[in-house]
Amino acid sequence: MITRFITEVNTKFNPFSPSSKTARLFLSFLPPTARSSGMKINTAVLPKESQEKSSLHVKFNDGKEMNLDCENQNIKSIVAEVDRHSRILQKAADLQNA
Amino acid sequence: MSSRLRCTAARGLTSALKPSRLLATQSAALLFPPTPTPSATSAARTYATAAYGSLSLPADYVSPVKPPTARPGDTRKSQLLRTYTSLIRTTPLVLLFQHNNLTATEWAAVRRELRTALAAVPAPDTELESLASKVKLQVLRTRIFDVALKIVEFYDPSKVAPTTVSTITGKKTQIKLDHDLSKAAWEQVQAATKEDSPLLKNSTYAELAPLLVGPLAALTIPAVSPAHLAAALGVLTPSPPKFPAPSKKKYPGYWDPITQSGLSKLMLVGGRIEDKAFDLEGVKWVAGIENGLDGLRAQVVHMLQSAGMGLTSTLEGTSKSLWLTMESRRSVLDEEQNPKKESEEKNE
Repeated sequence: MITRFITEVNTKFNPFSPSSKTARLFLSFLPPTARSSGMKINTAVLPKESQEKSSLHVKFNDGKEMNLDCENQNIKSIVAEVDRHSRILQKAADLQNA
Repeated sequence: MSSRLRCTAARGLTSALKPSRLLATQSAALLFPPTPTPSATSAARTYATAAYGSLSLPADYVSPVKPPTARPGDTRKSQLLRTYTSLIRTTPLVLLFQHNNLTATEWAAVRRELRTALAAVPAPDTELESLASKVKLQVLRTRIFDVALKIVEFYDPSKVAPTTVSTITGKKTQIKLDHDLSKAAWEQVQAATKEDSPLLKNSTYAELAPLLVGPLAALTIPAVSPAHLAAALGVLTPSPPKFPAPSKKKYPGYWDPITQSGLSKLMLVGGRIEDKAFDLEGVKWVAGIENGLDGLRAQVVHMLQSAGMGLTSTLEGTSKSLWLTMESRRSVLDEEQNPKKESEEKNE
């Protein structure tokens, strides 16, 4: 997963519900230097009885915000969706540097 | 050089081994004198064991040190599985954390702070004195831990029937193949974890199963000691009013950037305390029990005592009121009789 262009990640999930899997795996995909390189990561762990749906909200450095549906999507399609925008940003960054 | 390469390995080997093999059989013949000494030509082809046919093991022989297993028993994974099942069986307090790419230095820093915080916990009795050194924060293999939880929860070794096997001498004995990797364990777990199994529905495993996803680490405390749990929570997931983080002045290592970045990547997802599943709030509740289990016991004793007092006073109350009414009635009756006496006395 390309994480260079992500500036903020907000997640909220109830770990006792099976639908939290995608959000949790997304967090585990962020590199060890994510926080020190300026990415904001906010996680809210909901209590066990909570019926609230898990949510994943990603912001990019060009201002784009993504509200990803992690109830019905698996981690593969979420990564694909995030990477689709990241690749556009990467292309622009590469052209600027060249 | 080329001719040596072309010569077959088998030919080379036989020529190399022939004299030594002959020697081996001859020495074996010397060791066991009653057997007829084979002729020199046949000695080259018979092995020492061939003359003793009874040395082969019985067909249903089971090694006492390596019983048969449902899955390969000597791999690293199965050893891990054994470790996890014994860990789950013996540890009443397991907290599960998700760890998101901590570096080795961050792990070291987190473990160091955890150790110092736990060492500072005052131990109320000798039993808990060495507890702090036994608390561990270890990374788990999630899938294997999942299987181990299933085995601990659904496998009952007492239900396994003994099987008849041969010992090394050919004698028949009965043994129970009921270890965690046995076929019996595998079958029981398979039956219990079918989708519509009644066992699965109300089990702790079913509650904990969604937690076992992604990178997991476990904090294991080998006794339910709320004081130690509170200290660990203060380090790993501080929540100020009840479980404050260690102070900056006393524990500067905790506020080190490496430790802090490590802690920000650790996330408490749940716990298993005394065979029950707990979320963060539940874990905090356990950690908040004052004076540990003894405190709880004292509370129960106090409650029962006060309830007993109330009961005796209520039971006493009815008899007391009955006695009072009877007594008052008697005094009334007495008064009815007495005035006559008094008047009689006056008349006299």
